[in-house]
Amino acid sequence: MTGNAIAMEDVRKAYGGNLVIPGLTAEIGGGQFTVILGPSGCGKSTLLNMIAGLERVTSGTIRFGRREVQDLAPKDRGCAMVFQNYALYPHMSVRNNIGYALKVAGVPKEERRKRVDTAAESVGLRGLLDRRPSELSGGQRQRVAVARAIVREPSVLLFDEPLSNLDAKLRHGMRMELTRLHDRIGATSVFVTHDQVEAMTLADKVMLLNNGEIVQYAAPSELYENPATTFVATFIGAPAMNLLAADGEGAGIRLPDGTLLTKTPFRGPVTLGIRPENIEIVPDGIPCRTVYSESLGSHSVIVAALPDGQELRIATPLGRRMTPGEALSVRFMKGAIRLFDPESGKRH
Amino acid sequence: MVEDTRGIDRTAFAILIIGVAFILAPIVIAFLTASLSYEEFVSAGGIGLNVGSSFLDNMRRIVTETQLPGQLWNSIVISLLVAGIKCAFAFTATFALVFYESRWNWIIFSLTIATVMLPLELLVITTYQIVANVAMPLNWLMQITGLAWLAEEVVGARHEFRLSLLDTYIGVALPIATSSTSVFIYRQFFLSLPKDLPRAAAMDGASPFRFMIDILLPLSWTPLVATFMFWFIGGWTQYLWPLVAAATPDAQPAVVGLAKLANTEPDRIPDVPLLMAGALFVSFIPVVLIGVMQRQIVRGLNLSEK
Repeated sequence: MTGNAIAMEDVRKAYGGNLVIPGLTAEIGGGQFTVILGPSGCGKSTLLNMIAGLERVTSGTIRFGRREVQDLAPKDRGCAMVFQNYALYPHMSVRNNIGYALKVAGVPKEERRKRVDTAAESVGLRGLLDRRPSELSGGQRQRVAVARAIVREPSVLLFDEPLSNLDAKLRHGMRMELTRLHDRIGATSVFVTHDQVEAMTLADKVMLLNNGEIVQYAAPSELYENPATTFVATFIGAPAMNLLAADGEGAGIRLPDGTLLTKTPFRGPVTLGIRPENIEIVPDGIPCRTVYSESLGSHSVIVAALPDGQELRIATPLGRRMTPGEALSVRFMKGAIRLFDPESGKRH
Repeated sequence: MVEDTRGIDRTAFAILIIGVAFILAPIVIAFLTASLSYEEFVSAGGIGLNVGSSFLDNMRRIVTETQLPGQLWNSIVISLLVAGIKCAFAFTATFALVFYESRWNWIIFSLTIATVMLPLELLVITTYQIVANVAMPLNWLMQITGLAWLAEEVVGARHEFRLSLLDTYIGVALPIATSSTSVFIYRQFFLSLPKDLPRAAAMDGASPFRFMIDILLPLSWTPLVATFMFWFIGGWTQYLWPLVAAATPDAQPAVVGLAKLANTEPDRIPDVPLLMAGALFVSFIPVVLIGVMQRQIVRGLNLSEK
C-alpha cells in the first residue's frame, strides 16, 4: 500500500492576531518519509497538528490524495499520530492501548485481537501485551505508541518529536526501526523534529521551516551541500558552515583586510560559506592562528582566527592537535565554496 | 552537627498525644454518658465521668423507641444523592473547563467558584421558595412572555404550575449539592494529566464524551472516591436545610431526628444518656466509612496521577 500524497495550499494559521503560519504551499509525496525541521517556535508542530486535524486551519486547503480534509475530524482523515510523550492511556494494558482506536471504530473483538497482535509483533512488543504502560521502559512505551498508530493501517503517519525523550543509544535504534517500518508499511510519514541528525537520517525530503515559512524543501544531501540561505547553512551540520564576510574583486574573493581567500570569480560584497570539513591544512595557504581545539576521536575541530579576526571552524580528519596560539595555514577545497548575498542571506 | 532526634521525636509524640486526647475527649464523654441510665444521670447532676451499665439498654431504646433507624436510612439516601450529584456535576463541569478552550472560561470558572462563597444557610428562604414550587421559574417565564395570558384565554382559567419537592429525598439533597468545591480538586488533577492524552484520544477517533468516559473517568477514580466520601459525610452532617425542607419525621435525616430527641417535653430535663447513645448511633456509619476508606481519601486528595 502506498500512502496518500498531502497537498497544502496557502495554509494559514493565526492565534488571535498572531500569524504563526503566513500562507504555506507544499506537497508531501505519497509514501515518502518527510521530515519537518526547524527551530522551536517555527510553527512545525502547528503545521503537523493541522495536518492531523487537531487544530483548524485559519484558511487554505489540505488534501490527502484528492480528498479535501481540512474540515474533517482526525478520525475521518485516515491518519494516525505518535506523540512526543507517548500519551499512552495509563490505566489500560498495552493490548487495550493499541486496540483502543479499533474499539472506538467498532471493530469486532476477534479481528481486533488479530490486528493488535500483528501491530505489536511488527514493533517487537510480543509478550508485553498484558502490561501497563507504567511497567514499560521508555523505548517500549515508544513502541506501544507506534503500534497504536499503525494498527489502523493509516495512509498518513504523523510523528511529533517522538524520539526526543529517549536516550542517545535508544534513539539511534529507534531511527533505524522507524525507517524499516516506513519501508514496510508504505504510509506517507511526516516527522516533526528540531534534531537535524534525525532529519538527515530519516528523511526522503526535509522541509526546513523558519517563522512559519518554508526556507528550503529538498533531499537531506541537497540541504547539506547546497543550502538555499545562510539560515539553512548554519542550521544544518555540526559544527555549522563557516560564513565569512568578504569582498569579491572580480578575479577572487578577499577578506576586508585584503587577505585572498579563494580565486573564485565574483564581484561585490559577499558572504562566503565553507563547511568545516572542506578546509584543508596546507603549508602555504591562508594564514591563521589557533584559538581553540577539541578532539572528538574520529576527528578534531579547530577554531582558528583569520587575519582580520573572523573565526573559522576546521574539521581535520586525523586527530591533529593544535595548541592555542599556534599558527597554521589553510586552503578552501575547490567546489565546496558557497556564496550568499549578505543582505538577503540567499544563495547566489 | 548531630541532632538529638530522640528529643524531637518525644516532643512530637507528646504533641500528638495531646491532640488526640483533645479530639477524643468529647467522644469519650459521649460514651460514658451513654452508659448511664436517666436516673443515674439526673442524680449525678449533669455530665460527668461516671461509668454506668445502661449502654445497651439505651441503644435498644434508640432502635426500638425512636425513629432514628428509619431516619438513618433517609440520611444514607440523602448523603448518597448529595455526594453523587456533587461529584457528577463537578466532574463534567471541570472536564468542560479544562479541555475546552474558550476566552469566557475564566468567567465560567469564577461563577462556578462563586457558589462556594454562598453557603446554603444564607439562602435558606429563597431556596425554600424554589423547592416548595420548582415550577416557579416556569410560571414566571410564562408570565413575562405572555404565554400565561394566552393560556388563560384558551382554557378560561388561570393556571399556575405547582410541583413541591419538600419532604422528598431529592428536595433535601439537591440544594445541598449545589456547590462546586470539588471543581478545584478535579481541575488540579486534570491539569496534571499529560497534555497529549486528549489529543491521542482524538486521533484514535474518540469523541470528547467518549474520552471523558473511557479515559478521564478511570484515571480520576481516586480523587472521585475521595471527594465522594467527603461529600457523603458532608451531606450526613447537614442540619439546617434538612430541618427546613423536611417537615415530617419520616422524611428527616438522622441528624435532624437526633436534635428533635432533645426537646420532647419542655419541663423535663432532657434524657442526655439517650441523646448521647443516639449521637453515637448516628455517627457510626460515617466513622466506619472513614476508617475503611482512609487510605483512598488521602491518596485521592494528593492531586496527582498515580
